[in-house]
Amino acid sequence: MLTRRTLMPMAAGTMAAATMAAATMVLSRAHAAAPAQVVVAQGADAYTMDPGRHSVFPTANVLFQIYDALITIDPAGGFRPALALAWSNPDPLTWRFRLRPNVRFHNGEPFDAHAVKASFDRVLDPAFRAPYYSRISAIGTVAVIDPLTVEFRTAKPYPTMLFSLYEASFPALITPPAYLAQKGPDALAAAPVGTGPYRFVEWRRDDRIVLEANPDYWGGAPAIPSAVFRPIKETRTRIAELRSGGVQLAVDIPPEDIAGLDGGATRIANIASDFLYFFAFDTLKPSPLTDRRVRQAINHAVDVAAIQKALLGGLGTRTALALPANAFGYDPAWTPYPYDPARAKALLAEAGFADGFTIPMIGRQGRYLKDREIMEATAGFLRRVGIRVQAQYLEAGVWEQLSERKAREGIMFPGWSGRDPDLVWFPLLRSGQYQSYYANPALDLLLDEGRATLDPERRREIYRQAAAIIKEDAPHLPMLQPPLIYGMASRLRWQPRTDSIIDLRGARYA
Amino acid sequence: MFGRVFSRLLHAAAVLLGVSVAVFFLVRLGGDPTGLFLPPDAAPADLAAFRHAMGFDQPWPVQLGQFLWAGLHGDFGQSLRYGQPAMRLVLERLPATVELSAVALVLSVLVSVPVAIVAAQNRGRAFDRAGLLATLAGQSFPAFWLAIMLILVFSEWLGVLPPSGRQGWRSLVLPAISLAAYSTAIITRLLRSNMIEVLQSNHVRTAHAKGLPHGSVIWRHVLRNAAIPTVTVIGLQVGGLLGGAVITEQIFAWPGMGQLAIQAISNRDFAVVQAFVLTMAVVIVAVNLLVDLTYALLDPRLRRM
Repeated sequence: MLTRRTLMPMAAGTMAAATMAAATMVLSRAHAAAPAQVVVAQGADAYTMDPGRHSVFPTANVLFQIYDALITIDPAGGFRPALALAWSNPDPLTWRFRLRPNVRFHNGEPFDAHAVKASFDRVLDPAFRAPYYSRISAIGTVAVIDPLTVEFRTAKPYPTMLFSLYEASFPALITPPAYLAQKGPDALAAAPVGTGPYRFVEWRRDDRIVLEANPDYWGGAPAIPSAVFRPIKETRTRIAELRSGGVQLAVDIPPEDIAGLDGGATRIANIASDFLYFFAFDTLKPSPLTDRRVRQAINHAVDVAAIQKALLGGLGTRTALALPANAFGYDPAWTPYPYDPARAKALLAEAGFADGFTIPMIGRQGRYLKDREIMEATAGFLRRVGIRVQAQYLEAGVWEQLSERKAREGIMFPGWSGRDPDLVWFPLLRSGQYQSYYANPALDLLLDEGRATLDPERRREIYRQAAAIIKEDAPHLPMLQPPLIYGMASRLRWQPRTDSIIDLRGARYA
Repeated sequence: MFGRVFSRLLHAAAVLLGVSVAVFFLVRLGGDPTGLFLPPDAAPADLAAFRHAMGFDQPWPVQLGQFLWAGLHGDFGQSLRYGQPAMRLVLERLPATVELSAVALVLSVLVSVPVAIVAAQNRGRAFDRAGLLATLAGQSFPAFWLAIMLILVFSEWLGVLPPSGRQGWRSLVLPAISLAAYSTAIITRLLRSNMIEVLQSNHVRTAHAKGLPHGSVIWRHVLRNAAIPTVTVIGLQVGGLLGGAVITEQIFAWPGMGQLAIQAISNRDFAVVQAFVLTMAVVIVAVNLLVDLTYALLDPRLRRM
């Protein structure tokens, strides 16, 4: 088969050397001047400029330059002040926020407690139908205490509240109440007004979104005067734009392109995402997977490190349990089951499956980086210990339908994220939850208690006990947090984030 | 002539109705968009409430009836993702697609007609053979591969043309060439073989025999006769170009209907897919109508029908 590599010289065959020299000059010129703008290439255009009305990251990445949330997150994963300066819990059902004074929206409208209340009341209204309503639905009421103090009240203690209020909880961005009242939601969706570091300039649908620096930004004016977001779905085209200097930051670079882009005028930035790759076992329907020894055997049978090296260039973070290593309560001392096919075979024999068995494996393809390849590699390792997998790679819509009917079966590759055990283990392992294919009363007690407790030390202890049960009972085959890989102009200074949100606040050129 | 146009219009209306019904069912085959639109941790109650609010829980015949009734009144529904009227989203992007396809079509004709004329008169010689080889390549290179090669050579290596976007004529060059390649090849081959056939016919020999200048024979007697089947194919190519534009737009990040449609299909944004397919159908039906009328201009025998 002709590959791109072998065809390149053929296509170039007719090109004269002189033309190549001219090209080099053009290219070096393109990279000479420090751009006054940063052009970001993502896989898709924004759907709307209304933060309450969407459910996807490419849109969120644009909106986070325009809007702020009450709080934000630092590189270590800790919550930090943004529009709120400080917060406290007067009682377990109340979250009180002290707001940043003297902040104005881009249209001059003042930011205050009323704006916070109006923002949340708008998206919490069930008639508004925010797609990400479930992320904020635990918020009962929002009350203005004084112009710079608001209180959020919940019906039950809600320890993961701060995750619902920072920028990755899409509807939690603060919108301007007077602008909305005067111009209406359609105006906000087309010409957004926020408190963020960049002001909206122009949106040419499916072509580009142009933003300009907000010189009055409360966090300090951004260093790069203009930011442009361009939708370029095709990976090869994104890379070509990056190489030819049309784009300074490109998302979703495949691992195999890292070598070619990391050097010269471009470089690579990567970080392990908050996302989780793991296999979940259906332990509810009758199958060999109901036997703990079989689940442990699968954990011993798969060489996750080898998969990580071969398919992801060794990038990403191996996890001991299905919980991101940067999540609350994750103990770096935890270890996964070691790769030990002999032990796997012994466990299978002990469970009465010395000759192995056949089991369905279901997942989606093309949804996540190398998802199908990882499923295929895993199936290969399982075959070596006698477990024959019937793999089904489903369309996203079919997968969702199966999930809703709770009809997934066998070994599943679901994908999940969340930086707190309550956001991961409760939905995936608490019996009765519709994404849960596992039931364990001892674990249920712990997960329920962790959900109702605010004290971080107590919660850490609860989840330490839960982790021990999960490790031993092996309802999952934990794998890794896949990497987020970005290609950048080498002069750009910018840090990727684990939650995949692009933040241009600190971006600058060297 | 009038009767002919009228019957064609009736036919077109039937086609549009058939296309509407077909696309209505096709987009719904893979399930509704609720699970894709809400976050993965949304509870079943949230999903059910959303589905009910959007009417996705209604029986298909009811949804179809509502869709057709609203469509008759010019309402093609709201896009779920964009929260805007679907037809407006499609029509906003129509000019970019028409621009790309039209430039590609003009490019195809400008290249293929002269090449075919020269090749037909020099059958078997070097020019003809080179032309055949080039058309074979144009027909067999997959459009996406050609597009990536063009980007590699002209954007990455030479740095003379932008690889994507829609800013000025320079960003139109690569997508237009990659889209035009296939239809250029088809038109060239067809016109060449038609001309060779006509060149051998009796009336051409007669024309030469009665001493008409060579150019006049080629233009009045050969090209005109060879043009009729070629115009049919050019008309068909319009459909092919619009369809091909979907892939070309995707690769070159050209902000046309194709990009919108691909996203809408993967998001199950029913209203947008329906509006897109209907718009395509209208354009293709209209072009076919135009082709029919063009025959009459080219071939006087058809005017009497």
